[in-house]
Amino acid sequence: MELFTPEFGLVFWMFVVFALLFFILAKYAWPFIVKSLEERADLIDKGVLYAQNAKEQLDNAKAEAEKYIAEAQMKQAEILREAAKMKSQIIEDAKSSASVEAKKVMDAAKLAIEQARKESELQFRNEVSAFALSIAEKMVRKNMAGDKAQTELVDKLLNEVEIKN
Amino acid sequence: MKKILTILLAVVLSAVTINASATDNGGEQGKIDTKAIIFEHLGDRYGWEVPFCHSLSIPLPIIVRDYEGGWHIFSSSRLAHEAEYDGFSIAAEGANHGKVVGMRPDASGAMVEYRPFDISITKNVAALIICAIVVMLCVFSVKRWYTNHGMKAPRKWTAAIELVVEFVYMGVIRPTLGAKAPKFAPYLLTVFFFILTMNLLGLVVIFPGGANLTGNIAVTMVLAIFTFLITNLFGSKHYWKDIFWPEVPIWLKFPIPIMPMIEVFGIFTKPAALMVRLFANMMGGHMIVIVLTLLIFIFAALGGIAVGAGTTVVSVAFSLFMLLLDTLVSFIQAFVFTMLSTLFISLAQAPAEHE
Repeated sequence: MELFTPEFGLVFWMFVVFALLFFILAKYAWPFIVKSLEERADLIDKGVLYAQNAKEQLDNAKAEAEKYIAEAQMKQAEILREAAKMKSQIIEDAKSSASVEAKKVMDAAKLAIEQARKESELQFRNEVSAFALSIAEKMVRKNMAGDKAQTELVDKLLNEVEIKN
Repeated sequence: MKKILTILLAVVLSAVTINASATDNGGEQGKIDTKAIIFEHLGDRYGWEVPFCHSLSIPLPIIVRDYEGGWHIFSSSRLAHEAEYDGFSIAAEGANHGKVVGMRPDASGAMVEYRPFDISITKNVAALIICAIVVMLCVFSVKRWYTNHGMKAPRKWTAAIELVVEFVYMGVIRPTLGAKAPKFAPYLLTVFFFILTMNLLGLVVIFPGGANLTGNIAVTMVLAIFTFLITNLFGSKHYWKDIFWPEVPIWLKFPIPIMPMIEVFGIFTKPAALMVRLFANMMGGHMIVIVLTLLIFIFAALGGIAVGAGTTVVSVAFSLFMLLLDTLVSFIQAFVFTMLSTLFISLAQAPAEHE
């Protein structure tokens, strides 16, 4: 039976062909392919790991950003509050200083008015006394000429005073 | 799709039936030599037959050395149709049936037939070379992809090859051999792809395929010898110790070395099992398909065209099923051969502290 007894020619060629094929592939192809396969598997593993890390970091970053935003908002509110306080303080201060100033001015004005009034009073008294003196002088002078004349004189003098005033 | 299949089937069936009836009318009733046909298809031959044409074949070189030591190289077409060339012809019968034989004088001076030293490029050898080229093209396409595209995932055919490489390497070789995987992977992957290609090309009926390679014991023998050599040449100290001085009760190895004998026997049975498993599986597959096809002619010869036609339907259906099964078997057998080779090699690599 030919099938069960190996033919030498075929064995020989099989040996040659297989050895050649093995030599060529083992030298030029398989090590490279196997290495590349392993490398790519590693690369994919690393990629997955990297992506996971990146996602984690992204999540962390988001949380951190939110934290910063909340902090900033808090600070902003505080600053605003302080500013409002400061504003009212400044207004208060201004008001009080203004009232003090106004009071000072008023006092000075009162003083001046008082002085002017006193002066004018003094002047008026002087003038009244001068008039009274002159009236008395003229009355004394007219006394000599009768009652009628005296009375007329007094009237006349009084009229003069009235006109003068 | 179904329609196309039905039409195709009808065409095939009618062709086969006509063929059967032609044989029938040719007056060769009941003269179908099934054994001869089966072995003709399973065996090797000079020249590669052209489909649908028995008289024509693709010529291949015949390389023989005669009894005087002279080399003769000529085309197989010169020996076609029982012709003689350069003193050589193809034996029609006898022990050398189908082989190139020459004539030489024996001691008494009479001419006797002898078998020259024959390393012809036969159909099987040509198929081997084609398979080797196909394997190289496939493997180098993957390599080229890696050189040109780096770490990108391959596409189409390259991806299919790469998938198989990864299936075998990551699935069998690396888990079994561990750190030593890169050292033995080239051999195991070459074996796998070569067997797979030979198996699958063997299932293709016309020219580039059709050679029953892995169903030929010469081919599986060489493969098994390679595994045997690699297993034993790279065997660790512990492996050899386990063979000649295994850890069994002393009376099992001294004074009569029963266990060592069994172990030494095992060294040879392992590759022998590899050889026979692949050979028997593939030859069986081919044989079943041929027999199923032959059934058509046998029944046609026995019971006429009607019976032949009826058998045709059944036979073609079964052949189709068997061929599909063979496609699966092609892959499984290549895988099993590789897996067992890996296992044998890894067993011989076992370090001392592994036990």
